[in-house]
Amino acid sequence: MEDIELKNIWQSYDRKIEEARVLNLQSWALNLRCFETIQTQKAKSKLDSLVTFKIWAVALGIIWVLFLGILIYGNRFENPYFGVSVSFIMLFSLIAVVVYIKHIIIIKQINYAENITDTQKKLAQLQVSTIKFTGIVWLQMPFHTTWFWHSKWILFSSLKFWLIPFPITLLFTFLAIYLYRNINLENMHKKWVRALMMAGPEYKSVIKAIDFINEIDAFKKDLA
Amino acid sequence: MDRQPTKDAFLSLVLKNRGIIIKICNSYCRNKADREDLAQEITYQLWRSGKSFQADHTFSTWMYRIALNVAISFYRKEKKSEPMISMSENEIDIEDKADGADELEENINLLQQFISELKELDKALMILYLESKSYAEIAEILGITETNTATRISRIKDKLKQKFSTVKKEIWKT
Repeated sequence: MEDIELKNIWQSYDRKIEEARVLNLQSWALNLRCFETIQTQKAKSKLDSLVTFKIWAVALGIIWVLFLGILIYGNRFENPYFGVSVSFIMLFSLIAVVVYIKHIIIIKQINYAENITDTQKKLAQLQVSTIKFTGIVWLQMPFHTTWFWHSKWILFSSLKFWLIPFPITLLFTFLAIYLYRNINLENMHKKWVRALMMAGPEYKSVIKAIDFINEIDAFKKDLA
Repeated sequence: MDRQPTKDAFLSLVLKNRGIIIKICNSYCRNKADREDLAQEITYQLWRSGKSFQADHTFSTWMYRIALNVAISFYRKEKKSEPMISMSENEIDIEDKADGADELEENINLLQQFISELKELDKALMILYLESKSYAEIAEILGITETNTATRISRIKDKLKQKFSTVKKEIWKT
């Protein structure tokens, strides 16, 4: 088979498309009502739904941060353990919200008219960047075990405190630091990291995105 | 085109180049419903990107960039680990098939199937080559060098030819 034959087959395909009297896709493309829908942006864009999850997460995140703010304001640091713990939880939640807002802005700025490898790499890198702040979010874990501490509890039931809540907090602190240091792209090959990542809704796509970035890099490399 | 084109101008450009959308949808989507969704998505993104069109570029080159970018993103979003589609599922939706059950139609279906089996970026490369785009244009659309474009096209073509000859031999045997 010659090169010209491949092109001839493709051109015949073109002719078939032209000759066809009714083509679903063609009739769709010419469907004015559908176009009106597109114009008024009522059309459901599957690619725009990339941001839908993040918008919902930002909305819930803001509600959560406000709720924590109200709790802190209500307590007015009467119990410093509660105040400090909730403040840190609020801070980490705020970081997550800011990162998601940044993602939404980047997605909105993606220009499909740019060259294919660069655009696709940007999209894939965006998915991968999720993993970078996941480690930071894990650091809030110990504060979920300290917000109910109280000075009286520490002073007057000392043994009970040092035997139960304190070791639990210590354990969560070590665990948080360990996860913070180990959940990164370099460790994605480890089974437990992948398993932990799979727990979230976005992580399957993170793994796929990593593979795709490697594929793009290989594609861009000149072949010998 | 500095401003968003008018609705009529946009529709007429899409109509003129509709073959591009159809071929890309057929190459990237496994079933009819997905193909229709992708066609709608491409038109929507073309309309949204209207301002990015520069007069010094041809409309079709700009359209290829957007359509292929959208198709790859859509494909990666929709891709499920299901087995390869049957040939009939991948055929273009042409009403008057009855008189075209000849070797040419068989070749078209085979070429479509072989292209749909390629990786996303190779698929884009091959579509552009078959659309008779120059190596320079293909390199610009994909963001790779011309040498790389030429080498990759040559390798994919060899693979396609090999697949064609294997299938043809099998057909002859039966």
